[in-house]
Amino acid sequence: MKKMLPVEELARDERFQRVNIFEQAMDPRTVRNREEGKGRSGPQKLTPEREDAPEAARALMHGIFMGEIQALEGAGRTCWDFPTGPGREEAPFELKLDMARQCWDETRHVEISIKLGDWMGTEVGEFAEATFLYEAACNPDPVLRLTGVNRALEGLAIDIFNTMRDFGSVSGDPILEFCEDWMLADEVTHVKMGSDWLRKITENDPERRANALEFQRVVDKLFSLGGFRGEEDDSPIRLARRFRELAGFDTAEIDDIAGLSVEARHDADALQQKAAASVATGTAVAP
Amino acid sequence: MTVTVTPDSFSLVLFDHDAIVTVVERLVADIGLPEGIDVRVEVDERVPLGRAEILALDPITLEVEGGALEDPKRPRQLSTDGTADIIGRLLLRARDRLDPAFGDPPPDADLTLALRTAWDVHCVGRLTRLGYRAQRQRRLYAFRNRHGFSDDADAAFERLFTETDLTWADIVAISESARANAAASA
Repeated sequence: MKKMLPVEELARDERFQRVNIFEQAMDPRTVRNREEGKGRSGPQKLTPEREDAPEAARALMHGIFMGEIQALEGAGRTCWDFPTGPGREEAPFELKLDMARQCWDETRHVEISIKLGDWMGTEVGEFAEATFLYEAACNPDPVLRLTGVNRALEGLAIDIFNTMRDFGSVSGDPILEFCEDWMLADEVTHVKMGSDWLRKITENDPERRANALEFQRVVDKLFSLGGFRGEEDDSPIRLARRFRELAGFDTAEIDDIAGLSVEARHDADALQQKAAASVATGTAVAP
Repeated sequence: MTVTVTPDSFSLVLFDHDAIVTVVERLVADIGLPEGIDVRVEVDERVPLGRAEILALDPITLEVEGGALEDPKRPRQLSTDGTADIIGRLLLRARDRLDPAFGDPPPDADLTLALRTAWDVHCVGRLTRLGYRAQRQRRLYAFRNRHGFSDDADAAFERLFTETDLTWADIVAISESARANAAASA
């Protein structure tokens, strides 16, 4: 079986359609909303009062479903891609056991997500698949996978599950609330695995730890998605501080993620303005 | 009766103007609008969101954000099913408003989310019987969000979805009854 499977070779049937995150970020339409006062404005937290709340919830949960598939694939790859052992190019047996346990959890999450999709009226593959989660899980250093996937991406999952659990509670949807609560509990353990293994493996290697944390910052910023996740009033997904503490984040780390979210919003605004300018002048925008 | 879609061509999205016209013309024929009323659809391609509304009834003028017609799998590309769904619901609402027997619903801006959703369910039910995509469970989920997750709400949904020729008073009564039952059992 192939080691380090590239994202292009992930198995998907005809129901699924992939999109490129850069193309999404460069969509020139969004900035025009703001310039001309169109589109959304005001607080965008996902609450039942939002007219598009049911549709937004469906799209978000389909995104989570795709993330669960890729998290399963990523954790599975970590069990296989590295020889077993304590060396820098290896992964300890106990780490692989944790990744195997995570595969078990992610598989259950995929099944839950499919049933939740049935409940919400969403077909498998109804929305485009963004593959950046799996791409973060392709790092050749297992420690960077732990920070990029377990701490950054599973951390984002904590924020989303917590937000959606609250949405289910407020909207009176017992199925959504229970599904999110159960998956949230698992995600906390996945993030804590990442926190624990990061500290253990890099205990005597500060440079490797610094590299891993820098990779986590990059992924955290990318997954803040232009302010999608943050602590501002119009952030649809709220940073779940308490659950992050339970998952091994200290206050300074959580503050750092909040700061990255603000930076990501500013960067996205700048990118979109650049894209809009390119449309106006008929020139291409380089990635 | 003429159908006009603006703009004639799109630069920010990959929509086919003629494909939208074809969908709207088919809807107009299937729905059966009053004689002599023209239909204008104004697509705002600059907005990737999903808002869609009726601006006027003679001619029937619809304003639709580009995201409402977009394929959720393929950004910036047209979904003909989605277009039929959005435009079809608006045309049915316009037809209802033009029908004295339907009653006198308040302006769209004054509709509560619950009443708007209930009316949408009745529109989608009628579109389904005309052969358009149903997505029944999706509509039920939206309805439950506004009327409670209960057997009473599901029964109300069933009436709105399956019954023909409901009046505005019927829709209001069904919606308010479901909400009252949800509040009583909370």
